[in-house]
Amino acid sequence: METAKIVYLDNNATTRVAPEVYEAMIPYFTEDYFNPSSMYEPARKTGLALAEARKNVADCIGCTDPKEIIFTGCATESNNAAIFGAARGNPERRHIITTTVEHPAVLEVCRELEREGYRVTWLNVDRDGNLNMREFIQALSPATLLVSIMHANNETGVVFPIDQLSRITKQTDPSIIFHTDATQTVGKLPINLVNGLPYVDMLSFSGHKLHAPKGVGVLFLRRGTRARPYLFGGHQAEGRRAGTENVPYIIGISKALCLAMEHMKEDEARIGHLRDRLEKSLLEKIPSSQVSGKGAARLPNTLNISFHYIEGEGMLFQLSGHGICASSGSACTSGSLEPSHVLRAMKVPFTAIHGSLRFSLSRYNTDEDIDYVLEVLPSVVANLRKLSPYWDNAKNAPRQPPHGG
Amino acid sequence: MGWEYSEKTKQLFMDAVQGKPGTHLGEIENPDGVGEHGSIACGDAMRFTFRVKRHPSDPVQDVITEARYLTFGCTSAIASSEALCEIIESGSYSPVAALKIQNKDIVDYLEGLPEQKIHCSVMGAEALEAAVYNWAQRRGVDLKKLGINIHDDETAEGRVVCKCFSITEPYLKRKIRELNLRTIPQITSALKAGGGCMSCHHVPGGLQDILDEVWSGQAAAAAAKPLVPLSSLTIEHRTDITELSPFQFAKKVERVIDEFVRPGLARDGGDIEIVDIKETIIYCGMRGACKGCAGATRTMKLMVERILKEQVDERIRVIEV
Repeated sequence: METAKIVYLDNNATTRVAPEVYEAMIPYFTEDYFNPSSMYEPARKTGLALAEARKNVADCIGCTDPKEIIFTGCATESNNAAIFGAARGNPERRHIITTTVEHPAVLEVCRELEREGYRVTWLNVDRDGNLNMREFIQALSPATLLVSIMHANNETGVVFPIDQLSRITKQTDPSIIFHTDATQTVGKLPINLVNGLPYVDMLSFSGHKLHAPKGVGVLFLRRGTRARPYLFGGHQAEGRRAGTENVPYIIGISKALCLAMEHMKEDEARIGHLRDRLEKSLLEKIPSSQVSGKGAARLPNTLNISFHYIEGEGMLFQLSGHGICASSGSACTSGSLEPSHVLRAMKVPFTAIHGSLRFSLSRYNTDEDIDYVLEVLPSVVANLRKLSPYWDNAKNAPRQPPHGG
Repeated sequence: MGWEYSEKTKQLFMDAVQGKPGTHLGEIENPDGVGEHGSIACGDAMRFTFRVKRHPSDPVQDVITEARYLTFGCTSAIASSEALCEIIESGSYSPVAALKIQNKDIVDYLEGLPEQKIHCSVMGAEALEAAVYNWAQRRGVDLKKLGINIHDDETAEGRVVCKCFSITEPYLKRKIRELNLRTIPQITSALKAGGGCMSCHHVPGGLQDILDEVWSGQAAAAAAKPLVPLSSLTIEHRTDITELSPFQFAKKVERVIDEFVRPGLARDGGDIEIVDIKETIIYCGMRGACKGCAGATRTMKLMVERILKEQVDERIRVIEV
């Protein structure tokens, strides 16, 4: 079972830290370790590096005022700060609009507010994973405090039209705050908060999805947005997020964003090509398979594919034995007993929902990686289908009619 | 979260998927007993078949010689199926004696299972039970006479407590006793019940009530009840700012668009759709040739909004969708 070779295809979970990022961080552990708020000369240098990183992060997402950038510990913190902050800053409004397919870092925060008495509208998606614009518009009400809708889905890669949703929201009522969790898109899709997304008030993302380390995130908070701080106890970030800045990691995320900008065009095309080849070949090689989100705009790096009549965890276990890292939305890997809330919302049929695999690529993936998966996965699926009570091995097709269910 | 499986579990799974000699995947043709448990919708399902060496005069003394399974499920579900077959084939059990094999025996054979995977071993024991019941019917053995009561609670007669996994009250009560389940998390780990929407935990007649009833008073400490959500505090105040009713208002907007806007757009092969009307905000989108046109936003503002303001209400705003 032990193999030296690792083919890492789980980049929507986390990414490898880019060597250039790691290099850029080191001096801030060893030489320039000072508190950026201190007065003496060496600390001033650290403080300047921090200011420069903040400016660079702002530039990379097309935001003209570095003061709108708040560094956090992770995207989950950014999302919590955004949603709770908006709620506490606007106590007269008690209605939130979000979707059923958000990451738990938004879903659970909204559920918590629901328990506190807020009304939450949970927008559903269709089979392709798209929102219904009319439903969204109908949900906007004079009591609406916040709209929080993710930019791209972490499980399927389906991209929501945030530009349009935020514009409609703000044109309807400028007092409604628009937040988006852009964890899966920053570094992958161009983001410009002045020209492209001028109606977005808050945007969250983290470093470790774009080749910076875990432990650093960003909350973009547009100037003038009514939101209360989340952490108190210091003057940092203009008092909007107290706590000594995590300088080496902030340097890291800044460097990682530079690299992402540099490579974005080329990465998007090359990674998209790898993903498309993987998708097409798997659909050809493996009968009774289907792709979730195929009919929607999708991130170029994400493939969520389901194989009917088998269970995902047994696939992951075998893939892991071959050194292939991916993930699944099956019940047995979700930590609960139910399969992925995203695939359920998209009404993936019950014969396929447990057999989903997510492959998410990064700039470090190669053609050889894809070849290797194409070599290994068909037999992994076939192995489990041999065992499945719902599969007819003689015909290599589902049994008719399937038992149970 | 990684795999916390024992070496034995991993080994049995890999042997099974690779079809090593001595493994038990498959289905016996014309079996002496067949049983199923679970369903594809729930995430795991097993079809278990066995063959016996028939006793010439007394079917109760039949001996199971061969056992096979087909399983839809995760690593531990497949390993549990393999374990069940190995236990049975190595023990020369009569079907009646095989009923003594419990999920605990499967867990022991696997050298332990993670808590959240216990239900996989329960599935094996359940499928075995169903297969023995089937054998008894085929061989004319009256299990009740032997003092064995199975299956009379498996039917749909019982009240469904956990709707997510279709688990009934009689089944829950029996399993709570058999497996000595004391808390809701234990029930969920062993039987899946309550693991979905969780709405059956603390409602009247729900899992906590059943636990209390089964252990009558000596129940485990009741988990804190979740807060009851306050009813929505929002009041939809629809201030009618036009003299027209919302319906009349919408009709008028449509009429004006039909009359003044559509003909102009149609000349360019385009059209307009009213997506929604909220108070005096009109949400509409360009369709046909006008869809995605760079000038669409200007057309909306300059033409559509102006016409509607003039013809219907000064306060109207148009938002492009």
